[in-house]
Order: sequence, then structure tokens, then C-alpha cells
Amino acid sequence: MSNTYIPMNMRVKKVMVEDPDKTLRTFDLSFVREADEKSFTYMPGQFCEFSILGKGESPFGIASSPTEPGFLRFTVNRTGSVTNQIHYLREGDIVGIRGPLGNWYPVEKFKGGNVVVIGGGFAFTTLRSLIVYLLEHRQDYGDLTVIYGVRNPDLFLYKDELAEWRKRDDLSLHLTIDKAVEGWTGMTGFVPTVTKEIAPSTENAWVVVCGPPIMIKFTLPVLTELKFPDARVYTSLERRMKCGIGKCGRCNIGSKYICIDGPVFSMQEIGEIPEMA
Amino acid sequence: MVRLDKDRFGDFIGSLTGDYEVYATVTVDGKSSFREIESADEIDSSCLVTDRTPKEIFFPHSEVLFEFDEDGVREVKRKGKPIAVWGLRGCDVKSLALLDKVFGSARQMPDNEMFQDPYWKEKYDGSLIFSIACNEPRSTCFCNWFGGGPHRKEGSDVFVVDIGDAYLMEPVSEKGRAFVDKMTGTEEASASDKKKAEELASTAKGMMQEAPPLEGLKETLKGVFDDEIWEEMSAKCVNCGACAFVCSTCHCFDVQDEGKGGKGKRIRIWDSCMFPIFTREASGHNPRHLSKDRFRQRVMHKYSYFADNYGEMLCTGCGRCVVACPVGVDIREVIKDVMSYQGKGAR
Repeated sequence: MSNTYIPMNMRVKKVMVEDPDKTLRTFDLSFVREADEKSFTYMPGQFCEFSILGKGESPFGIASSPTEPGFLRFTVNRTGSVTNQIHYLREGDIVGIRGPLGNWYPVEKFKGGNVVVIGGGFAFTTLRSLIVYLLEHRQDYGDLTVIYGVRNPDLFLYKDELAEWRKRDDLSLHLTIDKAVEGWTGMTGFVPTVTKEIAPSTENAWVVVCGPPIMIKFTLPVLTELKFPDARVYTSLERRMKCGIGKCGRCNIGSKYICIDGPVFSMQEIGEIPEMA
Repeated sequence: MVRLDKDRFGDFIGSLTGDYEVYATVTVDGKSSFREIESADEIDSSCLVTDRTPKEIFFPHSEVLFEFDEDGVREVKRKGKPIAVWGLRGCDVKSLALLDKVFGSARQMPDNEMFQDPYWKEKYDGSLIFSIACNEPRSTCFCNWFGGGPHRKEGSDVFVVDIGDAYLMEPVSEKGRAFVDKMTGTEEASASDKKKAEELASTAKGMMQEAPPLEGLKETLKGVFDDEIWEEMSAKCVNCGACAFVCSTCHCFDVQDEGKGGKGKRIRIWDSCMFPIFTREASGHNPRHLSKDRFRQRVMHKYSYFADNYGEMLCTGCGRCVVACPVGVDIREVIKDVMSYQGKGAR
């Protein structure tokens, strides 16, 4: 049988520094073996275990979209020992990847509906995957609204792409920063407040919200106030994780494992978990 | 059912070691565990529930997942004969079956190899289990709370009863049947042998304390999740993790890389939800930063969450944690306290 603990090799194709403080870097990885590229099929919202042999392994959401063949993208915030090592990677280096793991945003269910994507901070990774996917299948979906907030303008991920999206007339993009700074012409205010101001229509709408716990905590009541039913609001959860395949017992919330039951859950599902309620 | 006279037991183990890697109860420095043996002389047949859990036969305390060097990654394949275990108790047989639910597959995707643990399967699948009846259960035994019993045979390949001068062997599985049919040196068990085994079973059963009513435990636990009962019950717990390390069903593990200069191995090591670092994230945030959160997690996992997912409790009543706890936390009392709790209710 195949050994699920053994990662496949991938090569660092491109490294992009996302912010002036260099705490956020994006890595595009290319497949080393053609067979791996063929068998690796994924959906927006799934994640991988990213290894540097001898240093360790950590899970990250996939920031590329399945509609962009030939590479996988990960954006990594430099925080712990593994992410620190990942930041030292250079083009051409070999890394280990296991995946795709977990479930995904239910884009099939969203078909024919309007989609509201709400993101905060560097959790925008799998949301980028989702937005790129939806834009690629644009005719299958109704209105697409994106609300994305960060502390200051430097911290937006994928700045060039955001500029491109801004020009589109089939996507309504709302960028916001916490506090006004000179030269900023976008919105100002925290994501929950901005969401309330924009007040996206609930009609035939689905919401995907992903960001730091504090943002989620204050955005959910706003969504409830706007009358979005819990069953139509999705989020992606995180916990410390090791194996990624439901064995090591680490990432559970109640009887759900983030790795195999999630990471994507509807607010309705989350409401039923004692540890989250 | 066949009878193996004890004076032929040495020959039996001798022939078993020809075809299998044989594990049995061994006592070293006063601590009993299941270890690989070469001959029957090494076996300590006096121990009932071993101090160390036999899960380590199939899920060792530390295990290499793969090795790596500049040429890449190398899988470490197990060599040698299939595993036979002599003398597992009914509770531990059940523990292995519960662990197999976790390691053997994923409940959502039973056939997907991505969720099958190769290291568990290469040892557990194809193993031969001889379980032995408990004629004298201990005061800490509570297997009967979860459908077990001192003479429980389910899940075993060959069920063995020690009737004094001989072992009675009853095939339980197909594999066990095939093995017993090929055994030499045995004779058909007589009516009086069987009667003796029945008497022992009845006496042992009579020694067990009565199980309290446990109906609805899974839901009751959820109902008291936010209640102050957890502070009271966990007050003396020092989060040492001894309960998890002696437990036959605790299966949480950590993964670490060991090595230098691009050469080394990735290993997994037993871990416990009792430790704060278990869930502490790189940012410093810890969803279970209080001792009582972790105490509750372990109880909830065993008697509520696992039951949600698999329809069974992740506890077989072996009593090891009751014996091992340095501050005298008795999981039976915890369960009873929850079942009889008449507090404020949830939130």
C-alpha cells in the first residue's frame, strides 16, 4: 500500500515577499514528478502539509486555484520554527508536500447564487483560491462581492491581483484598513463594521468568511443581523495539527476533526459543537 | 474447544515462535508489559492487566515514519514474521479493535488509502490474538460498564481459559479456527473441563462490581460541558498525562523530525491532550489553556466524541488509569459524578 506519511517532492518555483516587514511570503511550488501533478486534484479551501525535512511539517491552506494548473501556491506567515525555516526557502529548493487534505468551500452548492466573500488578514489565502475559481466559472454564479480588511495597506496579500480585480465590473471589491493612513483611498474600519455598511443582500446568497478569530467573532453577529441564515454562512477553522489525516487526535473541536471533517464548516455545523458554541 | 496441558505449553510457545513474532506478558523490575519472547520461560502468567499497555505492540511509544538524506525519503519497512500475542485480556482485545477504527481507515472514506495508517496495518492486520479469560478480576476492573466481561471472547482469534492444569482453547475467528485445527499436542476438551471453565466464568463475573446506569452518558456530558462540575472534578489533576500513557485506547501522537545536516528521520511519539503544548499554536494562542479544559477534553473524547463518530465509548474499563494516577483521579468516579450531577445545567 502507499504510505500516506511520505510527502511528494515539489520545487520552489517563485518566492514573493508580500509585506515590507517580510513576515508574509508567498511560495509557488512546481511538481517534480509528472505523475504527482496528474494525480493532485483539489478544490478551493483544501490544505496541504508542507515539510522541510529535518525541520518539520505544518499545514497551510492552498492559495492557488485548481483552475491554475502546474503549480501550488502557499502564503506563509513567519511565526514558529517551521514557518521560519520556510521563509529561508529560495527558488529551486525542494520541499515535501502531502495533500490535498480536508474538505472545501461548497462551490457546487453556490452555483446560481450570489457569493459574498469576507476576509481578514493573512487568512485570505484560500479565499483567493475561491475567488479565482469563481471568476474562472463566472457564468455559473450571480453577484460576487468581496470584503477584505487588514490593519494597514502594506498587509494586503496579492496586491497586483487586487488591483486587477478592482478593474473588473463583474466583481465588487471592498478593501478596508483598520485606521486611516495617508494616501489610502479605500474604506476605513474593521471588517464587521464595513460589512454592516455594505450590507450585502441575503437574497439567494452564500457567505464565506475567513480571518482571525476576533474578526470572525464580531462578523458573525453582523451576518445574523443582516439575516443570513447560519446554513448559508461558511468558514474555515484552524487548530494545531500534525498528521492531517484524522489519527493524531490534535485538531479536534468537539467530535469534529478539522483535518478530515473540515477545515470548512457552515455556521450551523459549528453551532452544534459544544466547544464552539 | 481443545485442551492444552500446561506441561506442553513450552512446546506450544516454541512452535508458535517458529511462525510468529510472539508477544506475551513479561515482568521486568517489577513492571509488567507485553514483550517479544523467545520461550515460554519468560512469560509471567500471574499478571492480569499489565502495567504498560499492550497497544505498544502495534503502536509503539516512538516509531519511525520515514528516513531521509540527500538522496530523498526512504520508507522503513517492517521485516520479519507476523505478530502473535499470547495472553491479552478481553479489555485489551477490545482496545485494539477500537484503535483499528482510528488507524485502519477514516470513517468518512473507509477505502481511501490516504487515511490508512501503514505502520498500524502492517502489524495489526495478519496478527494472531490469543486472549485469556480473567479468572480473578481486579478491584479496578470495570470492563462490564462498556459491554465487556472477564470471560469476554469477542475480537480474539483464540479464546483461552486457564483451568489450573491446562489451557482450554476456543477458536473465535476463522483465523483462530484454522490455527487450532492444525495444532498438535492438544486433545478435545472434556465435559468436566468445560464445566470447570463455566464455573470460573461465573465466579469471575460475580467478582465484578455492578455497572452504574450509563444510558445517555454521551449526551449528558455535552449537557454539562460549560458547567462548574469540571473545575471540581479536575481540581486535583496535575496534567501529568500518566492516564493517557497507560491507556490502551489513547492514540494521540506528536510528529517530530530528528537529524542533522539533511540526514535523519521523522518519528511519531505518544502524546497527550493533558499537556498544554498539545494544542498551543505558534501564535501563543491555546484553545485549551486551562487544566480543566484539557481534563474535560480527555473525558469528552472517550465518552462522547468518539461515541458520536463510532457508536462506542473509547474506553474498555481496563482500570490502568485508575491505578496509575498519582493524585487518585478515578475515572469511574468522574463518570458517576457526571451521571448524577444535578447542577445548574448547561450555561
